Amino acid sequence: MAKKESKAASILWTLAVIALALVTLFPVIWLTAMMFKPDTVMFQRPTAWLFEPTLDHFKYVIESGFLGYLGQSFLLATISTLLVVLVGTPAAYAFARFEIKGRDDLFLFILGTRMAPPICLVIPFYLIFSKVGLLDTFTGLTLAYLTFNLSFYVWVLRSFCRDLPVEIEEAATLEGWSRLQVMWRVVLPLLRSGIVATAVLCFIFAWNEFLFAFMLGGHELKTLPVAIPLLITTQGVRWGEMAVVGVIALVPVLIGVFFLQKSIVRGLTLGAVKG
Amino acid sequence: MSAVMPVGAIPTVGRRLSAGWLPYILIAPTFLALVVVSLVPFLYAVYLSFHEVNFGQVGELNGFGNYMKLFGYDRFWNSLWVATKFTLIAVPIEFVLGLGGALVLNQRVWGRSVLLPLLFIPSMMAPIVVGLLWKIMLAGSWGLLSYNVLERFDLLPGQSVFASADYALYALILVDVWQWTPFVALAFFAGLQGLPVGPYRAASVDGASSFQQFTRLTLPMMTPLLAVIGLIRFIDAFKIFDSIFILTTGGPGVSTESPSILGYKMSFEQWRIGESAAMAVMVWIAFFVLCSVFYHVAKRRLKAF
Repeated sequence: MAKKESKAASILWTLAVIALALVTLFPVIWLTAMMFKPDTVMFQRPTAWLFEPTLDHFKYVIESGFLGYLGQSFLLATISTLLVVLVGTPAAYAFARFEIKGRDDLFLFILGTRMAPPICLVIPFYLIFSKVGLLDTFTGLTLAYLTFNLSFYVWVLRSFCRDLPVEIEEAATLEGWSRLQVMWRVVLPLLRSGIVATAVLCFIFAWNEFLFAFMLGGHELKTLPVAIPLLITTQGVRWGEMAVVGVIALVPVLIGVFFLQKSIVRGLTLGAVKG
Repeated sequence: MSAVMPVGAIPTVGRRLSAGWLPYILIAPTFLALVVVSLVPFLYAVYLSFHEVNFGQVGELNGFGNYMKLFGYDRFWNSLWVATKFTLIAVPIEFVLGLGGALVLNQRVWGRSVLLPLLFIPSMMAPIVVGLLWKIMLAGSWGLLSYNVLERFDLLPGQSVFASADYALYALILVDVWQWTPFVALAFFAGLQGLPVGPYRAASVDGASSFQQFTRLTLPMMTPLLAVIGLIRFIDAFKIFDSIFILTTGGPGVSTESPSILGYKMSFEQWRIGESAAMAVMVWIAFFVLCSVFYHVAKRRLKAF
């Protein structure tokens, strides 16, 4: 009997979680439907739940150059993430494994960099960049993205490094390998999944970022989040087109959540919760 | 280089080795990069905050003049009040709902590995897209919720929520609750999964009810985790910019003008760079204090770092 009861309970709890997920995701589902909703029924009262789907919004989005913004977004997020991985991986390992003088102070500096409100950074960045000619350049935005992504990457990857058992490295050292050999041949392969998970989070942060891209770029260099408000035109708001761009901007996030699963908790709590 | 210890001598997690100069070489590139992109802008903001700045041209040193002007500026105090209200309403709601959600997730649920990632979607979305979603849900007369809920029950006749000075902030709170409650639930759920089983066995042998187990065991053991997540949410909510920018741009009037939105308007619309630098410096220092609290709680109580 007890077994039967627990089965019934499982069904109920599962239904409860499905209901929670549906409530949570309902606005996203609605946005997806709006991509295909013709302008003629868009503003209908009562709400038009069923309609003849159209591809007009896609056409407008493509014709007004959004593929270019998509490319720029992708390139910027990719390059800035690769740079972060290259610069940050050795530091994350060093912080996890070795005695470093002033470690606590360095940590606070990194954490403070990560948590600082972007608006505090964007004012000095804007003035400095306008003096040295980095405004609206790829290099400038890549640099600016280091503030939140490099600090984030080092901080979170360090927690992955700490999970590696130190014996393996010691055994390799006993074999006569140098520290650098151990890092390259032993640590790096073991750390691969942690590196990929943290890097994907960095990619998503860069992909989603708005204020820096808006203030420090925005003319020649436009990312998708910056391009969305462009659809508020003088002839009115192009809602259907906004839905199309919004859903495109969601694609990496949708791939990311299934791929990352529990690393997200670790990432968003900066390694404080293992997940 | 004699740091090699006998295998298994000391617990391995978090143990540190010494290796001469190598660690400093490994952290040097990161350190240099962060000095350039974080310390330099901060010091430049400090420098600006003590000077007259006119249209991007740095003028004379004026001591605490910018700070005094800022303290006399009622929109500055208003923005702090807006962010305080926003945070103190949104975060507790997210906590209560999140804790409830975590307890539900912690039951025997089938297909968790498919359902859980779905719940991560709102927290990983671009805040600009979140704003867009809710602009659509709550748009003037035709928004799904405006028409089918607000209007039908006569809650807000004749206008968009975001155009109402009384309710716009609560609409923004609703958006934040939608975006962050699932994440809070998942983080608490991760915490619940990490609790030891032993104490619960002992408690049920002693005949403790499940409510007693929750208040006497679960809550005390979860306290450090709640504190850490609370701090992170508090910091994030206080600096909110993107979704307000796309939904209300701080309006109507100044009713939803958070410090970040005010900083943006002061710098890039009114060109009061000196004052906004002063504000940035103060916010920065306040956040730094919060970060060190976070660090110490997470390190001492959660043994996370």
